Amino acid sequence: MKNFISKLFKKNREEESHGISTERDLEELLNTGVLAPFECIDVQAVHTGRVVMKLAAGDEVFAPSGEWMQVPGTVLYEITRERNHKLIKAHYNGTVEKVHTEFDGQFVEAGETLMTIKHPLKKKEVIEQLLKDVLFFFPAPETASYFFSVDVQRQVDRKGARVVTIEPGDEVLTMSLMKRDAPVYYDGEKGVIHSVYFKQGVTVERGEPLIGVCSHDKLPVIEKIITKVRADWYRSNR
Amino acid sequence: MVENCPTSKGVLDILQADIKLYPPLYEAEKICQFGEFVGSVIESHKTLPRAMEYGRNLINSTVESGKSFPSGMVILADSLSQSKGRFTRSWHAPIGGVWGCMVHANTLQPQSRSFIPFAVGVSCCEVVRGYGVADSSVRWVNDVLVRGMKLAGFLVEAYTEPTYGEEFTLVGFGININNSVFPAELNGLAVALCDILQKKIDLSQFTAHFLAKLACNFGILYHEENCELRGESLSGKDGVHLLLEKWLNLSDTVGQNVLYGFDVMSAPQYRAKVVGIDDSGGLRLQLEDGFEKIEYSGEVRYI
Repeated sequence: MKNFISKLFKKNREEESHGISTERDLEELLNTGVLAPFECIDVQAVHTGRVVMKLAAGDEVFAPSGEWMQVPGTVLYEITRERNHKLIKAHYNGTVEKVHTEFDGQFVEAGETLMTIKHPLKKKEVIEQLLKDVLFFFPAPETASYFFSVDVQRQVDRKGARVVTIEPGDEVLTMSLMKRDAPVYYDGEKGVIHSVYFKQGVTVERGEPLIGVCSHDKLPVIEKIITKVRADWYRSNR
Repeated sequence: MVENCPTSKGVLDILQADIKLYPPLYEAEKICQFGEFVGSVIESHKTLPRAMEYGRNLINSTVESGKSFPSGMVILADSLSQSKGRFTRSWHAPIGGVWGCMVHANTLQPQSRSFIPFAVGVSCCEVVRGYGVADSSVRWVNDVLVRGMKLAGFLVEAYTEPTYGEEFTLVGFGININNSVFPAELNGLAVALCDILQKKIDLSQFTAHFLAKLACNFGILYHEENCELRGESLSGKDGVHLLLEKWLNLSDTVGQNVLYGFDVMSAPQYRAKVVGIDDSGGLRLQLEDGFEKIEYSGEVRYI
């Protein structure tokens, strides 16, 4: 069952490029009984250092929680470099699928896979995962708070984000870091703002997506994916 | 006749005199050299609609005419007719205050840029204390308060000019000096230096001292970045950023019970106790359930 969704994305991408509908892939997803699908997430070393595993295979893992996300996730491993200890915590909930025990107590390179977490996907996550193939994700340049620029916000307020077209070079967002406001210029493909992943006043980690943008011609495919997943999710949970 | 008109030479003289008072362990001369660009050009106006808007237009017209914009240029106005604070807040800027902005051609690394707001708050608080107001303090990030009332506020905005895409930082400042009459909604919330000291202040002299401190603190930003790039330890105690150390000495935020919000006035989010500041200036907050959270944006009000 290793990362079924990822395989599906790959298939979607290949077939999309040949002009084939995603309908069959979605049918495959829903007909194989993956109605509560999951994603296998590899946990990697954040930097070089000596690691101590804090979990074993089968252990349950919790994501950050609380109204303000103040309750940290489960500690996954400890890493020490030059007497600098760090406890690395989970961003997702799930179950530990595999722990690379051979690295326990050893010095590892940055990016080494230390464990794998089996994370159950919610309906919204399934949709977002499927959209990864169709949307361009514009990432946060720095860990900070973000809000739409005045012009974009005005258009969003008037018509909603999904009719706002943006193109490379547009000042789309403002980044607020330590009370320093800086414009953020869009550098992806021209399209409409389909998904918004930030909330005003909530810190977004560097590299996390801020918005998902898609070209006008892909909009019908996206709507089809969303409708299909929603309908089948509802049917399966009745 | 323009009232607030300090000179570049005056600013430089104060900077060079101030820097001699630094402890010998600080590389004071280097810091001074790094920061000398602040106030190298000063433009004083009787009135402007908004100093930062004027600064942006000046950047554009300078670059369009094929010239290089002088980094560190300071734009001052005796009064601002359309001044505003953060978000949609109004800012009262009549004759008697220090109103303006400093334009910095951004040559700092991203990790240093986030300390710019600290530099301007520290500079103002240092000058105010130099005038004898020992109980002035900085509230995270850079509001300067005296006895709980706001004496000064700052806006820091990045701007990318459209011709070549060069990035500038506009450091806007509003300091209540001789303007002791405030709109009714600010009564008890704002205060002017003349009311605390019970005397009129020489505006140009105060501004020259403020700009000299700003030059010194921008010098520290470059100096610390230089240390980091050379792989050396930062100059503050226990290797912390020197500017952060100065901020901690001037601030009363740590230990306070606060209300936090991105826009705390119109949308407060939660109550917490400030338990510290992290190495990059983030605010460490302990929520009522005992868990800790670090905020890198937003603002606080003491409760």
